[in-house]
Amino acid sequence: MAFVLVPFAVESVWVFWPALQGFWFSLTRWDGMSPTTFVGVDNYVEMAGDATFRGALLNTVIWLVLFGGLSVLGGFGMALVLQKERRGVGFYRAALFTPVVFSLVVTALVWRVFYQPDGIADTLLRAVGLEQLIRPWLADPQTALYAVILPALWRQIGYVMVLFLAGLKAIDPALHEAARMDGANSWQRLRHVTIPQLKGVNAVVLSVIVIDSLRSFDIVWSLTKGGPYHSSELLSTYMYSTAFQSLRLGYASAIAVVIFVLALAVILGYLVRAFREEA
Amino acid sequence: MSDFDPGRRRFLGHLGLAGLGALGASSFLSACASSASGPTASNSSGAVTIQSNLSSPQAKAAMEKLIANFNTQGKGTASLNTIASETFRTQLPTYLTSANPPDLYTWYAGSVANDYASRDLLLDVSDVWKSLGDYPQSLRTLSTDASGKQIFVPMNNYWWGFFYRKSNFAKWGVQEPKTWTDFLALCETLKSKGIPPIGIGLGDTPWVASAWFDYLNIRINGAPFHRELLAGKQRFDDPKVKAVFTRWREALPYFDPKGKAYPFQEATTALLAGKTGMFLIGTFFADAAPKDALGDLDFFRFPIIDPAVPLAEEAPTDGFFASAKTANPTGAKALLTYLSGVEAQEAYVKASSGIVLPANPKAKASDSPLVVKGKAMLDEAKELTQFFNRDSSDALQPTADTALTKFIDKPDQIDAILREWQAGAEKVFKG
Repeated sequence: MAFVLVPFAVESVWVFWPALQGFWFSLTRWDGMSPTTFVGVDNYVEMAGDATFRGALLNTVIWLVLFGGLSVLGGFGMALVLQKERRGVGFYRAALFTPVVFSLVVTALVWRVFYQPDGIADTLLRAVGLEQLIRPWLADPQTALYAVILPALWRQIGYVMVLFLAGLKAIDPALHEAARMDGANSWQRLRHVTIPQLKGVNAVVLSVIVIDSLRSFDIVWSLTKGGPYHSSELLSTYMYSTAFQSLRLGYASAIAVVIFVLALAVILGYLVRAFREEA
Repeated sequence: MSDFDPGRRRFLGHLGLAGLGALGASSFLSACASSASGPTASNSSGAVTIQSNLSSPQAKAAMEKLIANFNTQGKGTASLNTIASETFRTQLPTYLTSANPPDLYTWYAGSVANDYASRDLLLDVSDVWKSLGDYPQSLRTLSTDASGKQIFVPMNNYWWGFFYRKSNFAKWGVQEPKTWTDFLALCETLKSKGIPPIGIGLGDTPWVASAWFDYLNIRINGAPFHRELLAGKQRFDDPKVKAVFTRWREALPYFDPKGKAYPFQEATTALLAGKTGMFLIGTFFADAAPKDALGDLDFFRFPIIDPAVPLAEEAPTDGFFASAKTANPTGAKALLTYLSGVEAQEAYVKASSGIVLPANPKAKASDSPLVVKGKAMLDEAKELTQFFNRDSSDALQPTADTALTKFIDKPDQIDAILREWQAGAEKVFKG
């Protein structure tokens, strides 16, 4: 019993209780100093008419699709290319994984240098004769969000690749052997042997990606702080600035609740489907 | 100075934030929020704890020296606790509302201090002010809360202005402008020579744009209107506010287009390298300047637009306040008295690198021509303002950052921008 009760008690204090408190705060108005005022669903009503919130929600969806989708495609592609043991493959795997190891502060600094005016990005474009494309990447509302997704992808692809590599290693080579004997070409083997065999890994990758997308904060905050004028705002950065800059902790808690519900919905949706298929 | 005060310590701020981002969304927020009642520094009537956000190496060393000096004088003991400025800013409400708060804090004069006073979180330091009889009335008013007691002890202030390199102005054959017309003519001359006339640094430090808003507003509508606006007693969609932007628009074509993308530290580098003509900034920017360039720096006051408006200047004032819940009010006041004295203020000015003016009128500022000129400019002003966030609140600052950066990008949409600004400000005032 102690094996369950002790962790449960610890979780209750550190996770469940603050989470429940978060729900309570979302029904209040609070500046962090004065006593809280109960306002019912006012925060949620305000949210419905808040253009910045809608923008952040849309950006979060774009982020989920682009960051999630591309890191799965990129990570899976890289894993396929690098799964065969051959000379030097360890070097490439390590190189792709390196960004994961970097501290995010370092990552942000590196990319800031890349994007700065007359920085590496601009120099590259000039070198290939595309100088008309040059713009203040992080300061232009048209490009800011995408300019932040790129470093996030740069980091995430290596991580997803490692997950897929582990999954690919676990596939019994006999299956591929058998498929080859039956005359399946490499596309058919990928489609009908590799992908179905990766089902377990897919669940992990999906959860990791949804959670990482929704909590993406650090890279955005250190590169643009959600700006210029909210154009790269995600729900997470909006929540942070609402809470700790505007000191509107009630409204920020309501945003946090939305983030929580979104994450839960996506992941539960997947898990329910996965279980149903297994049953 | 400003934002989260401000960019000069931003790197440390990021280190703290990166850690926060790793935590889960919902539980993270409430975990931070609910820690308000958690334990902080605790002491009985022994040593006084001073919580300091002066984390740049020179300022930190200067503070350490002051505290060490105080401890040798036998009037009490104090210990210094230096914290990265962004962490300090976000945690200050938590410190002040905790059951066992640290005793003293570095902070800024103005609304940002009075707001805490209105919540009865600050110690009445009128006793300390009894020995500060020769301080100028402007600083006394600034340190007094709505109920008429002093809650703040100023350490020093500094000024904002258009900084430029003397050698470059000589090379380009241009003079300091006095009026707005002169100023625009100067911009036109520089532009014709192929130099972006006005430097700015909004990438990562968007609050720098607030200096333009503050100055245009106090030049056109005057400091009292500016303060009322920032206190929520006037509206941002008022035609008087729009007039500010109409003026600003005349200068917009002369802004360095790269300034949107880099922070004020790089805008400083651009100014020093002669890649921009001038830069409206506070003296703290010189922290990022190489020593050999300092002698070549000069500045002029923000040009006069309407001579009928009483002259006002931005002079952000830094100093200290104490927690109302301090266990040792006598010790806290003794330390404040020491810090406001001539000896401590001169030692601080000497040890810190920044160009600052000591608050104590008897304390000697540096005698560099730049500091003499800055002091003369402030002495001439009828009114002093602090800076956007200090005259309002850190909570209102992001609404200004959004509105002003958007205006610089899309000046055509000014009416919509001002409406959004008003709506955003109302939310902040409502809480």
